[in-house]
Amino acid sequence: MSNDHAAAPADAGAEPGDPPADQPLGSWRLVSPADVPFVYHLVAQVDPRWWRFSRHGLEPSQVLQTAAGISAGALVSTAEGEPVACALLADAGASGTGMFEYYALPHPVAEGLARHFAPQLLAAAFNGAPIRRLYYERFSGDADVLGEAAAAFQLEVTFPEFALINGTYEGRTTSVLTPESFARWQTEASA
Amino acid sequence: MIVTNRIVFRPVQPADYLQLYTIESDPTTAMTWRYRGNLPDISEYEPALWQQTQQIMVVQSRATGEVLGYVQLHDIDLRAGHGWFSLYAGPEHRGSGIVMEGAMAFCEWVFTNWPIRWLYAHSFEHNVHAFESAVRRGITERLGVLHERMMVDGELTDVHVIGMRRDNWMDSAMRRRFNDLRARQGNVL
Repeated sequence: MSNDHAAAPADAGAEPGDPPADQPLGSWRLVSPADVPFVYHLVAQVDPRWWRFSRHGLEPSQVLQTAAGISAGALVSTAEGEPVACALLADAGASGTGMFEYYALPHPVAEGLARHFAPQLLAAAFNGAPIRRLYYERFSGDADVLGEAAAAFQLEVTFPEFALINGTYEGRTTSVLTPESFARWQTEASA
Repeated sequence: MIVTNRIVFRPVQPADYLQLYTIESDPTTAMTWRYRGNLPDISEYEPALWQQTQQIMVVQSRATGEVLGYVQLHDIDLRAGHGWFSLYAGPEHRGSGIVMEGAMAFCEWVFTNWPIRWLYAHSFEHNVHAFESAVRRGITERLGVLHERMMVDGELTDVHVIGMRRDNWMDSAMRRRFNDLRARQGNVL
């Protein structure tokens, strides 16, 4: 599955780094085993924010073992085909829940592309697996990669002072998205 | 190990497994977080018991030698400085002072033996009342609720997330009273 775009729609809520409406955009596609080096590069670039990988340090075989437990993933690339962000669906289980993990390289263009494609990736997660509740965890200082789609999530848990990042204990939150709340958000966003 | 006049709080031994299994086999315990109703057969119990688990401590009656319950310390994350715990008690002892004593022994043991800043616990809706007293006393905090998180016995169930901050335990009046009492009883080793 992939989705190429020639141009972004006009976005009144655009942030710095978000792709302008009149410029070619990138695309996204499903992750393949050949993308593992990029995923490792991305984890290292945002370390330790991608906690699933960084919590044990970045010893490569450990990271590979963690990556092996991922259900599915997608890679966001620039129009030139350079990967800049990665979304993973993890912990998809019998209870119909899953964890959506999404990180971009730490520069404005990458984060802007991530925000642009976030709604499509969320839709793909619901279309690709029978998920009734999709969780998203983030540190308080994480870059915004969901953009306006963040409004569709409901905050459920806050872990104060969860981990030390660059000398400061940052809190971590768990938010949830249901197919129903996502559909409502899509309707409102397109109105 | 922590000793009071009523309990011994000590590491689990293989000889305890059968008693732990009996506690977990109780229908009201089987529906707790860990096994969600799918308690393994006794022949597969030991690896299941220790899965993702760093340490298991039992609460034993000094009067009878009976294992009244146990506490599991699991999913420790030393980089972040936190871990998770699960507490199990035989149905006849739940809500009793002796289990409360075991819980206090666990807090004292874990925060003085592990470099942990936070301890967390998951609790199903039907068990969350067990934390009420500690929440009222400021020992534990409600961090949130994962709504309809799990399917238990065919029904969607909320999962509460409870947090315990190391500093809150170390500075608490409850801890002072617990350790003062142990000292007066001559039970501080």
